[in-house]
Amino acid sequence: MARKGLRAVSPAFEAEALQALDSLYRTALRLTRVPADAEDLVQETYLKAFRSAGQFEPGTNLRAWLFTILHNSARNRARDRARDAVAIDSELVDRAAEQGPGGFSAGGPYETPETLLLRETLAPELQAAIDELPLVFRQAVWLRDVEEFSYAEIAEMLSIPIGTVMSRISRGRHLLFERLNHLRPVNA
Amino acid sequence: MPDCKTIDPLVTPYVDGELAETDRRNVDEHVHRCPPCHSRVAAERAVRALIRDHRPALESRSAPPALRARCAEAARSTDARLTAFAKAPAVRRSVFFNLAAWRARAVPFALAASLVVMVGGAFLYQLTDSSARVLAAELTADHMKCFAMNAMLGTHEQPSTVESAMVSGFGWQAHLPQDAARVGLELVGARPCLYGEGKIAHIMYRHEGRPVSVFMLPNAARAQQFVEVLGHEAAIWCVGNRTFVLVAREPRLEVVRLASYVQASLH
Repeated sequence: MARKGLRAVSPAFEAEALQALDSLYRTALRLTRVPADAEDLVQETYLKAFRSAGQFEPGTNLRAWLFTILHNSARNRARDRARDAVAIDSELVDRAAEQGPGGFSAGGPYETPETLLLRETLAPELQAAIDELPLVFRQAVWLRDVEEFSYAEIAEMLSIPIGTVMSRISRGRHLLFERLNHLRPVNA
Repeated sequence: MPDCKTIDPLVTPYVDGELAETDRRNVDEHVHRCPPCHSRVAAERAVRALIRDHRPALESRSAPPALRARCAEAARSTDARLTAFAKAPAVRRSVFFNLAAWRARAVPFALAASLVVMVGGAFLYQLTDSSARVLAAELTADHMKCFAMNAMLGTHEQPSTVESAMVSGFGWQAHLPQDAARVGLELVGARPCLYGEGKIAHIMYRHEGRPVSVFMLPNAARAQQFVEVLGHEAAIWCVGNRTFVLVAREPRLEVVRLASYVQASLH
């Protein structure tokens, strides 16, 4: 069909790629928190994906491949804007994450009423709490618990070691736990 | 026996069910005799379960149709360029390409639809026993009408200007949100128009490119509720003897957030 060396985007590839659109858009929204930026990011992702469709290895996970492009694009944009502060920020929070749980529930009761109370959390409260997380934790928790990617897939997408993926998920979940428990006064 | 430090990096994969048998048993043993680690596991497990329970709500927001059209077009333009040599598919594609181009022309309309009209309606609305759904439908129709009419204004006004217009035009001592930008609301302006037998005040905002209307009905009491109508979501609530209705073409989650913000900051 296409000339040698050139590969057209097959209708099947296009259809399968576009199936991930809603997921990519929601993830981009969590990354940027601004709908217009999220749309730009998703469009850029598809442009790149269709242009480099030949580099995709058939049989591997197309959805994960698209997410990798999305995150690379997001990183490049951040770099383009020369937001050094953001990079330093990420490093700092990463180091904080690696330092471990610190004060999480240390000395707390064996059974935790907080975990029971947490179930009362409403979706909008949860969404708001996720949006308030620092980027690296928001990203890790979202990719794992909402998009259900494996640690290895997330590590690849974010170009970070698997250990860092796990510590970011851990830290993100605990931050959410603390934040959401503050919304639930005991005598309410 | 493993200590807390050894267990620490295993907690998350343990909660996610990603540990091999030996590690899993080690963590099991440890957390059953270590309250702090048990709490950690309980907390992480609870948050994980909570997010999974709320996944339908977290995933309720779809990509805008205009974005879908642009992304599909990205495939076809790449396609068209690379397959210029292929005859048969080119014919088929040109049809699709035209369709994509047509859709692309629709994009400005979608962008125009992003202008937010926040309508504070101070008017006498004869509240009958008509259902909340009918009320929401009438106001949604008005919202779309006003939004279409105001889409090209592109003005910016201060809350104080609009507040004095509310007082002089409708005798309503309104206090508009002063920190609306915090939730992405940008004040565009206000204008009066007719609604039924009374005058209605329109206060226009942009909100992250999505239209939102807030109507105020004096001397009316309604139970707080959410109604889906005409592809829009309407939030209804009451403050004193005024009923407020917020209308937006947004997922319910967003409408709930906007409504709670407006409810807290518009008096």
